Amino acid sequence: MKFYVCIKQVPDVTAPLQIKDGQLLQDSDRMILNAYDASAVEEALVLTEAHGGEVEVVLIGSEKSKETIRKALAMGAHTATHIQTDDTGLDSAVYARILASFFADKEYDYIACGKQAQDTDSGLTGGMLAEYLGIPYATNAVGLTYDNGLLTVKRQGDIGQELIELPSPGLVTCSNDMNEPRIPSLKGIMQSKRKEVTTLSTDDLGVDANALEVKTRILGFEEKPGREPGKKFEGEPEDIARKVATLLDEESGVL
Amino acid sequence: MSTVDTTIPALTQLSDDELMLKEAAFEFAESAIKPRVHEMDEAAKLDPDLIKQFFEMGLMGIEIPEKYQGGGGTFFMSIVAIEQISRVDASAGVFMDVQNTLVNNAFLRWGSEEQKQKWLPILANEKVGAYCLSEAGSGSDAFALKASAKEDGGHFVLNGAKLWITNADEAEIFLVFANVNPEAGYKGITAFIVERDSDGFSVSKKENKLGIRASSTCEVLLEDVRVPKENVLGEIGKGYKVAMETLNEGRIGIGAQMIGIAQGAFDATLAYTQERKQFGKAISDFQGVQFQLARMATDIETARLLVYNAARLKASGQKFLKEAAMAKYYSSEVAESVTSLAIDLFGGYGYVKEYPVEKFYRDSKIGKIYEGTSNMQLQTIAKEILK
Repeated sequence: MKFYVCIKQVPDVTAPLQIKDGQLLQDSDRMILNAYDASAVEEALVLTEAHGGEVEVVLIGSEKSKETIRKALAMGAHTATHIQTDDTGLDSAVYARILASFFADKEYDYIACGKQAQDTDSGLTGGMLAEYLGIPYATNAVGLTYDNGLLTVKRQGDIGQELIELPSPGLVTCSNDMNEPRIPSLKGIMQSKRKEVTTLSTDDLGVDANALEVKTRILGFEEKPGREPGKKFEGEPEDIARKVATLLDEESGVL
Repeated sequence: MSTVDTTIPALTQLSDDELMLKEAAFEFAESAIKPRVHEMDEAAKLDPDLIKQFFEMGLMGIEIPEKYQGGGGTFFMSIVAIEQISRVDASAGVFMDVQNTLVNNAFLRWGSEEQKQKWLPILANEKVGAYCLSEAGSGSDAFALKASAKEDGGHFVLNGAKLWITNADEAEIFLVFANVNPEAGYKGITAFIVERDSDGFSVSKKENKLGIRASSTCEVLLEDVRVPKENVLGEIGKGYKVAMETLNEGRIGIGAQMIGIAQGAFDATLAYTQERKQFGKAISDFQGVQFQLARMATDIETARLLVYNAARLKASGQKFLKEAAMAKYYSSEVAESVTSLAIDLFGGYGYVKEYPVEKFYRDSKIGKIYEGTSNMQLQTIAKEILK
C-alpha cells in the first residue's frame, strides 16, 4: 500500500503569539508539525505497519520546514518530498494546485491530510486536492481500517459516527482525535538522517504562474477582544432569583 | 557591522540530532512520566510500564552503536536527554543516567568485542544494568572495597556486600567491583559482569530515601557467586581504572540531572509567581520576586554552561577531569539553592506535596552525595589546579 501524507509546518501554538501593527509576530524558531497532519502520519504508519507498504510525506514550504519533514521521517515515514517555496502568502487553493501537479503522475492507494492546519484552520486544501485529482474524498476521519484493498473511514458526522468505504485511490482528511501520534525514538531520529528526501521546485512540477496566483490574502491580524466581565449578585436567594429573572427576561430578552 | 563568526558554536547551541532528541525527551517526559511522578514518589518505585517505554524510546542505549542495536547517538545526546527527563522526574533521570553513563559506558570502553556483541544489544533493548562499587566501609575511599574474587578453575568466586546500588531493584546485569588480590591493594580490583539469576547473588534491603525515591537503591549480596572468566570486564587488576574513569564521565551525567531538577523547579516557579496574586497583583510584579527569579535563571544558566562544556570536552576527546568535577559540584549547589528558593516563592503551597516543588528540593540533595561527594569533587579540582 502506498500512502502519501501531506504535511505542513505551522507555528507552535504553545509558544506566545503577539500581534503588532496588524502583523503576527512569532518566534520563528518554534515551528512544528501541524498536529492534524501528525495524526495522519501516525495513522498511515499504523496501517502500513499492519498491512505492508510505504508512507511518503509531502510538504510545501521554505528551507526551514525541512526540520518538520525530518520529524515525520523520525516518526517512521519512509521517504519525503519537499516542494520548496519561500512564498509564505500562499492560500489553500494554491497549495492544492501545487499538490495536484505533484500527484498528477504518481501512483498511490491513498492520500491523507490533516483535516485542517493549526495556523489558518481553513480546512480547504484536502478537499480541493481531491477535486483537482478527481478522486473520492472523506473528511474528518477519527479512525481508519484497511481490509482487502479498501479503506473504511470512521468519521465524525453531525449526529454521530459514520463508517464510509473509501475506494482507492482516495483522499481522507484526519482529525487529531484519531490517535496519539508517536514520539520519535532515538532510533527513528538517527535513521531519519539517512532517508531519502526529494526536493522539487514548483518549476520542476511544471506549475504555471496562473495556478500560483493567490486569490485570497490575509489583510491583517487583530487581537480578540477580551470577554466582558460577568455580573455578580449577592444577597438572599429569593432576591437574587428575582434579579436574575429580571435580567434574563427584560434586560437581555433571553426568556 | 561586526563580523559574524559561526565557526565556533555557542555552548548552548545544539546540533539537529541533539535538538530532536531534546524535544523527543521533553515530550516523553511530559506525556509519559509527568502523570506518574507523584505516585511513583509515594510508592518509591518506578512504574514497570515506564521502564519498557524508556527502552522503546531508545533512551537506555543512547551511545551504543547501531551495530550493537543501540541508538547510535553521542555522549552529549545522553546529557541532553538526562537533563530533559530530570526536569520532570530526577528518579527517572538517574535511572537512565546510570545505564548510559556508567554501565553502557564501561562496556563500550572496556568490553572485548565478544562482550560487546553479547551484552550491548541486551542493555540497549531489554535489561537494566547496575554499577556496584560502594560498600558499607568504602564510599569516597572506593579502593578500600572488601568484596573478594577468588580464582577457581575457569571461574572467579565472588563474596561481599555492596551498598547504595542504584537501579538494583530493576537491574538484571550488574557490574561488580571485587578484589582478586587484596595484598596488592587497589591493583587487585577487577570488574565483573554478574547476572542477577546467578546462584548466591541477591538484591537485599531497599533504602527508604529522602529524595529520588522512585529510583531504587539497594544492598547487593554476593555469597560464593561463580562468575566465568569471560565475564571479567577489562583486565584483571585494572578494575580501579574502569571504576574511576567511568565515574569521571558519570559526573557530567549527574550535573545534567541537577540542572534538569533546577530547571523543573524554576519553570514551575515562573508560572506560579505570575499566577499567584497578593496585594492586588501577581507576585512576579514585585521587584523583590523578579530579582529572585533572575538570580535563579542566572544560576541555572551558569551550571548548564559548566555541564555542557564538560560534556563537549569529553565528546571531543579532550581533557575534562577538572571541568566534570566543577560541573557536578556547582550544579548540585545550584539545584539545592534554586529548589529551596522555589519553595520560598511558593510559600505554604511549596511545602505541601500537592505542588511539585518540595519534591524537586528533596531530589536535589543527592547531587552533593553520589558519584563522588562535593568534597571529593573539590579535592579533584584542587589537585588539578595545584599540580
